Amino acid sequence: MRAYLLRRLWQSALTLVGVSLFVFVILRVIPGDPAKMLLPEGAPESAVQELNRALGLKEPLWVQYGIFLRSVARGDFGQSFQYRAPALRVVVERAPATIELALCAMLLTVLFGVSIGILAAVRRGTGYDYAGTVLAVLGQSLPNFWLGIMLILLFGVSLRWLPTSGFQGWQYLILPSITLAAFPTALVARLTRSSLLEILGQEYIRTGRAKGLGERAVILRHALRNATIPLLTLLGLQIGTLLGGAVITESIFAWPGMGKLVVDAIFFRDFPVVQTVLILSATIFVAINLLVDLLYTVLDPRIRYG
Amino acid sequence: MKRLLRHPMAVVGGLLLLAVVTASVAAPLLASSDPIKPSFSKRLQPPRVLGGTSASVLGTDNLGRDIFARLLYGGRVSLALAASAVVLAGTVGVVVGLASGVLGGRLDDVVMRVADVQLAFPVIMLAIAIVSVVGTSPAALVSVLALSGWVLYARTVRAAVLTIRQLDYVEAARTLGASDLRVVVLHILPNTLAPILVIGSSQFATMVLLESGLSFLGMGVQPPQPSWGAMLAEGRDYLSNAWWLATVPGMAISLVVLGANLLGDGLRDLLDPRLRE
Amino acid sequence: MNRRQFLIGSGVVVSASAVRPMAARAQAPRGQIIAGLSERMLTLDPANHYSISATSVLRHIYDPLLDVTNDDKFVPALAESWRSVNNTTWKFTLRKGVTFHDGTPFNADSVVYTLKRVKDGKLIKSFVYQDIEEVTKDGDYAVTVTTKRPFGSLPAHLTMLGMLPPIAAGTEDAFFQKPVGTGPFRFVSWTHGDHIELAANPKYWKPGVPKVEKVTVRFITELSTRAAALRAGEIHVIDRVSPDMVQTLKGTPGVKVLDTPAVEAQRWHFQLARDNVKDPRVRKAISLAIDRNVIIKDLLLGYARPVVNPVPPGLIGHVNLGQKPYDPEKAKALLKQAGQSNLTIDFVLMKDLYPKQLEIAQAVAAMLGEVGVKVNIRNLEIATAREQRTAGNYDLFFSGWAHMPHDPDWYFGQWFTKAGAEKMTRFNDPKVEQLIAEGRVPDPKVRQQKYEEIERILWEDEPEIWPYYSVAIYAVSDKLRNFEARRDYYVLLSEVGIA
Repeated sequence: MRAYLLRRLWQSALTLVGVSLFVFVILRVIPGDPAKMLLPEGAPESAVQELNRALGLKEPLWVQYGIFLRSVARGDFGQSFQYRAPALRVVVERAPATIELALCAMLLTVLFGVSIGILAAVRRGTGYDYAGTVLAVLGQSLPNFWLGIMLILLFGVSLRWLPTSGFQGWQYLILPSITLAAFPTALVARLTRSSLLEILGQEYIRTGRAKGLGERAVILRHALRNATIPLLTLLGLQIGTLLGGAVITESIFAWPGMGKLVVDAIFFRDFPVVQTVLILSATIFVAINLLVDLLYTVLDPRIRYG
Repeated sequence: MKRLLRHPMAVVGGLLLLAVVTASVAAPLLASSDPIKPSFSKRLQPPRVLGGTSASVLGTDNLGRDIFARLLYGGRVSLALAASAVVLAGTVGVVVGLASGVLGGRLDDVVMRVADVQLAFPVIMLAIAIVSVVGTSPAALVSVLALSGWVLYARTVRAAVLTIRQLDYVEAARTLGASDLRVVVLHILPNTLAPILVIGSSQFATMVLLESGLSFLGMGVQPPQPSWGAMLAEGRDYLSNAWWLATVPGMAISLVVLGANLLGDGLRDLLDPRLRE
Repeated sequence: MNRRQFLIGSGVVVSASAVRPMAARAQAPRGQIIAGLSERMLTLDPANHYSISATSVLRHIYDPLLDVTNDDKFVPALAESWRSVNNTTWKFTLRKGVTFHDGTPFNADSVVYTLKRVKDGKLIKSFVYQDIEEVTKDGDYAVTVTTKRPFGSLPAHLTMLGMLPPIAAGTEDAFFQKPVGTGPFRFVSWTHGDHIELAANPKYWKPGVPKVEKVTVRFITELSTRAAALRAGEIHVIDRVSPDMVQTLKGTPGVKVLDTPAVEAQRWHFQLARDNVKDPRVRKAISLAIDRNVIIKDLLLGYARPVVNPVPPGLIGHVNLGQKPYDPEKAKALLKQAGQSNLTIDFVLMKDLYPKQLEIAQAVAAMLGEVGVKVNIRNLEIATAREQRTAGNYDLFFSGWAHMPHDPDWYFGQWFTKAGAEKMTRFNDPKVEQLIAEGRVPDPKVRQQKYEEIERILWEDEPEIWPYYSVAIYAVSDKLRNFEARRDYYVLLSEVGIA
């Protein structure tokens, strides 16, 4: 196990370097000129070239990458082209808003998704199951922006129970979390139901039931344990996506998070910010995947890595 | 097939999907109005159900075009795109996941790290990169959509494989000399079907919604051609005053998702070896 | 005087003195205004951005040398007066008794520093000021600016450049974390991507200004959300309202909608080196085939104005040249004449930049289809679209121009000179080029004449299609007093009070 861990950590480092190289190159190869995006349409070509030079973009690619690596080693991810402030600071400032929203949405997802899934599986074929199906369908097919705007109109404008946008307190988390959690909750519910239904038919559950344990105990202890693996896989990917920032939700709710930041940065070709966010994002995914892989072995002792 | 009939919900799901697909294919027959030509005097008319008096059953959009017609014609595009993307993502993902889980070792590490790298990139960036290389054809759009989805299949299947391959009867089959491929197809694959079907039937909606977001890169369908994704995008600005613009395609998507979910769950019930009783 | 006169006189005196303290009390700033703007802020440096939103917000913290009113008059701000000594020399006489928020005095050093900084630095506004040769002070309250070529539009550009204190020199990065200006509001804080807080400057040089104690500007890019916040009573003013949102807002109690023709003309420019549209007859045909009234009336719901000149009314040089006709038959005939009866053109749009652009483009495609021109709409991401433009891969490009300085020199200089248009529209007309150069002199009469000539040439040649002048629509809470709907999209709150 320790050998495995070390191997994974070493690979993680390689992955991050790979990501940094990949993103660096892609940004400079795709069409789109950062200076042009900063200057207004009515700026002469000479001003564009001048600004590109000032941004260090006229150097050969390998020189730029070398400079970049050296700065990153010092913790300097460069100056954001748009904000004229350190890219790392620009990104990290937005992190808490995204993290809090992601955690809140994840909480809702696990709580409601798993509960609905269990209910639907245990009461299979009844009204509860059908209700669960309807909710799942709605959760998967309602577009993010539709749900968000409708929630704002209902709870913010008509009823005035909740604030419409921004992030200035815990109440501001409610509507965006619901919006963000809708799709993953539906998916989790379906996956839970499906995994539970598999297990509920298996031999050893029947044996467990015959031994006289309460039905609820049987379900919760044996079945859930085994349904957790696919759920964990899904949640691992989901949290990564959420932490990367949910762009549409953040736009709709004027949420000061990283999602909108990175998309704006891509559109404006703000290379340092894109690079920073992507490297951070890769770090998160790598860490989560490692964690999930380790948790597999905890949840199911049969799993071993050869 | 008698078994199939014992799962009425699956049948309902299948029929629903069939109905939607047929309606889209038969669009020229079913839709009497032109989905593309604007009619400026007939803008934003509500559906007849809500008291609108227009000839358009589902109302008209921001350029006065019949929404029902656009829905049908748009369905052709969106169904084709989303289905292709789901199939592509699913196939690639499952194959990769199986290989990774069964063969393990170096292959597993490399593949999973590649997945990590790709996940770090927002879809939009990948889309821009792909567009700059291969242009903006529907094939490019399907590739981008598939790229955004394969990892979930791969990791889910891989996890299932890791669980199953240590099972006694699998080990037994191995020692008895069954080849890896046989083991995979006969024993492992069927046990991974459940999550695959669930994910696959959920992904359709995601693909349409993604298509909605990517159409601005000039990918796939260009205005004034309709697609459900484009209709959603166009309807976004009118939610407070003409909400049917976005809601109608949303409901169409829901219908397809419902059908896919029911069918998917039904198929899973059908094909799951452990549920045979 | 007789007794009656005395009594009346003293009565007047008494009532006047009774009135004055009350007026002084009414002038103390009170209340807080929260604004919701559509465009995010990127920087607090007035010389390092060209965003309309940022100009608007920064106007509260800094003062420029002069301001421009909503009816295009240039009025004194930090400069009491200005005049052109000769074609290449401007002299500014500065206001006395003004201090920065940190107590340091405003004088010629500030102006010299600000102008030199933008001219010599690698800032976003630098290219505009490259024509400046030298900036020298003439005593503490006068500055002389000499230019390399005539720079008649210098004062207009200066309306957008806030004056900075010389202490910022050398420590700009730190300075712009907590900037200090002479403006009606002091900077309090900026939560990036979310909102900016401003507090009243009690020592502002203009009496009675500002009217409120606090201003918070929130950045809400999504229109529905912006409108929802206003309707829910959470904010007091929003900008960039779309015509379709007007009904809903008007129907909300407590909300008023204000609109005004903007200093912006939509302009769809042709790629003049492309075979497709090189021929002026083809361009004229395309122009004739577009029913601008339908766009204005049906798509923009009347929130646009018909164009009678490439440059909107109010700007120097504007003259009414009559509206462009809609004549599809003539269009077809012209196309036939030019041998292009089956034309296909690429119409490139920059994603989400202009309201309803996709809708309008589709309408235009349908109209052009009627005369046999097939239009490929290419709705691209902004950076890609601009690269395509540089590469020349388009026939028609959907764009607009907001004359923020309220002066057309920048527009003409950028788009209708060979150097400026080379990598854009490929426009090249020596006569126009010469007129533009001649129109740079400070003398307004000369400028008016030269610009009129340019406009007639362009109107005839149609290197661009000007479909409509935009209308700026704002929505405000009816608690606000004295809000002015500005033509340049600025949301200015120093003279606005709240009930």
